[in-house]
Amino acid sequence: MTARWGMAVDLDRCTGCSACVVACHAENNIPTASPDHAARGRAIHWMRIERYWDGEFPDVRLKFRPVMCQQCDEAPCEPVCPTYASHHTAEGLNAQVYNRCIGTRYCANACPYNVRFFEFVNPAWDKPLHLQLNPDVSVRGVGVMEKCTFCVQRIKAAQLEARAGGQEVGDGTIKPACAQSCPATALVFGDLNDPESAVSRLARSGRGSKLLEELGTQPKVTYLARQTP
Amino acid sequence: MKALYSLYPDQGAAQEAVDLLRVAGVSDRDIIIRSGEPLDDCELGQRDAGTWLPWITTAGGVVGLGVGTWLPRATAASWPILTGGIPAASWWPNLIIMFELTMLGAILATAAALIVSAGLITGSTAIHEPALAEGWILVGVMTSEPSARVENVLDPAGAGRIRTVN
Amino acid sequence: MIDDLLQPVLRTSWRFVVLILVLGAIVAAGAGAWLYQVYYGIGMAGIRWPVFWAFYVTNFVFWIGISHAGTLVSAILRLVNARWRRPVTRCAEAITVFALMIGALFPIIHLGRPWLFFWLVPYPSERMIWPNFQSPLVWDFFAINTYLTGSVLFLLLPLIPDFALLRDRTAGMRQKIYTALALGWRGTPKQWRRLESAMTIMAVVILPVAVSVHTIVSFDFSMAPVPMWHSTIFGPYFVAGAIFSGIAALILVMAALRKALHLQAFLLPLHFDNLGKLLLMMSLLWAYFVFAERLTTWYGNDPSELAVFWATQRGTYAPLYWTMVACNLVIPVCLLSISRLRTITGCAIASVSVLIGMWIERFLIIVPALGHKYLPYSWGTYRPQPVEVVITVSTFAAMVLLYALFSKIAPVISVWELRAGERTR
Repeated sequence: MTARWGMAVDLDRCTGCSACVVACHAENNIPTASPDHAARGRAIHWMRIERYWDGEFPDVRLKFRPVMCQQCDEAPCEPVCPTYASHHTAEGLNAQVYNRCIGTRYCANACPYNVRFFEFVNPAWDKPLHLQLNPDVSVRGVGVMEKCTFCVQRIKAAQLEARAGGQEVGDGTIKPACAQSCPATALVFGDLNDPESAVSRLARSGRGSKLLEELGTQPKVTYLARQTP
Repeated sequence: MKALYSLYPDQGAAQEAVDLLRVAGVSDRDIIIRSGEPLDDCELGQRDAGTWLPWITTAGGVVGLGVGTWLPRATAASWPILTGGIPAASWWPNLIIMFELTMLGAILATAAALIVSAGLITGSTAIHEPALAEGWILVGVMTSEPSARVENVLDPAGAGRIRTVN
Repeated sequence: MIDDLLQPVLRTSWRFVVLILVLGAIVAAGAGAWLYQVYYGIGMAGIRWPVFWAFYVTNFVFWIGISHAGTLVSAILRLVNARWRRPVTRCAEAITVFALMIGALFPIIHLGRPWLFFWLVPYPSERMIWPNFQSPLVWDFFAINTYLTGSVLFLLLPLIPDFALLRDRTAGMRQKIYTALALGWRGTPKQWRRLESAMTIMAVVILPVAVSVHTIVSFDFSMAPVPMWHSTIFGPYFVAGAIFSGIAALILVMAALRKALHLQAFLLPLHFDNLGKLLLMMSLLWAYFVFAERLTTWYGNDPSELAVFWATQRGTYAPLYWTMVACNLVIPVCLLSISRLRTITGCAIASVSVLIGMWIERFLIIVPALGHKYLPYSWGTYRPQPVEVVITVSTFAAMVLLYALFSKIAPVISVWELRAGERTR
């Protein structure tokens, strides 16, 4: 059966360490922004940790929420792209085809989660940092949109390997860079079409909810509410 | 082929001259009328009304509608790419394309019909009579042999008002 | 009379040459700024996460809005056979064509990869992919192209008799050009009838196109789930705003032409009085739409929408917002509702005020909403960069330049229509 990829984020386990952010940068050839660029709003973080302060001093609490592309089933970013650069795949992923993108940035405006990022300038890596680029992931040039792909290169690699070995992809075989690097295992990735997979069970959890669910985007990331104070 | 003509100060006088020329046996095809503005107030301006022009506009619109209906559906069918949980081709957005191409078809058909039916590309060259710009109306006859009857109509007083063009 | 109208075409003064040079320099600066942006990347502009549309899309909507002056005023006045329309129609039609040409550049200027803009054209490509007809940007492509084609024809067709007039009054190379432009115009009753029929049909057809164009431009915003964008009022609101800014542009252009080309005998205080009343009405209509939208938002109490609402009314954008209200409502109503103040100068001042106010309005529709979407962590502001300012300023210079060049090629007041009107009076 065709897979339907989703994630679960356990807000109870997330410590805000941002290892997932760093791992995502490394895996997906995301350019690092200088302080000047970041101040001008050009920093790209496919995965970001949103930090909210709750309460008044001295009873302040810090809340973390990792936000990445929600891979919405009814993504508002898809119909608005004039060149079909943003479209939906059979496995439920929102694909971003860099070669089709002419950079109108309409998809970024339409995304309610603000998880879409734009290459404002041609990225550059000072030598020898260019040696660490991941050969499985395109390096995007100026003028195209990009966002979290659920590490589609890892999904494809796992599926090819499983097919070559004549097997199914097992639950837990595919780990996007963020899920792989989370020390608290707060991020769980898997096939929502498999009712026994870890992500399906967590999606059914009583603690689970979706981000901006009322907008009708049908996101495939389930957030498990924080229970510890 | 020569042309003889005379200038008239207003539409009434021009209408009279044309009627007299018809009585003198000149066919409508050989009568030349030129003016610097539309002749809306007399019979001269009413013929050749071209009431079929709106039909050409409509035909152009229908062609545009057809293209507008076919284009999004056919291209989506050739490579159905799914977006946003909606079908590859849907009626509501396609109505916009259908509307715009209908109007474009109507506009282009009207312009083309005007250019072709008014003889704007082909057709003989103009008679360069500067008085037309001043409001005079030119009435004349296309003829190879001038006849006395025609000259009488165009210049009853024999005042040498007749001009010729070759 | 004809000599007065043809004089700007037939004779060139040194002032005209100076004007062209100055405007040309400003336009060249704008072109240079754009080339700089293409070379170094769209990042030279001030857009950022999450405000991905700002100055360029503001300019796009603004200029497409201005373009509604011409065809709407000209077409509506033709259809109701308003007597006072005759000196106004060609001025208006020219504004439409040039504003559309300028406005249509901005979807290309604001692209991340502008050299690929042609992918919006539906052509059979070797990639075997077609444009996404469900995207509002593709609707824009069709709408603007249809409107541009229609407007150019609407301007050029009634120009043919005047080109013939110029053909008969010039010599040498100029005459050859005008002979070509006049096509085979002879002035027969048949040609006049056809032309008038065609113009009536065009006026009827171009009206729904004009309404659809700015509605479709508004769909660029209302189709996205952004707070205070996703509103059903946007279609009529934008069309009303377009007509509003268009009439202001028309008044300003007419006042300038009257002075520069000595057309005092043709562009009378009556014309400005009538257009001033139209402008007043559009100001009140604009205010009505803004009120309806804002009351609904305020009463609806949706937190995301209220964030944008208060940002414009009391927050960062409040100075711009209240300037806009003053420019679009207070100043025009004061100047235009008192008939003693509704002079040519009064109308011109009101028009400048409206143009400033409407530009700010477009900006305030786009930027505050994008800066305040659903997740507060990702809110942001926007600062324009020099390239954006230079390109914006150069488009105004381009408009004046195109108009100046047009006034050198054709009489800005339709000679044959004016004469026909005088005869019927």
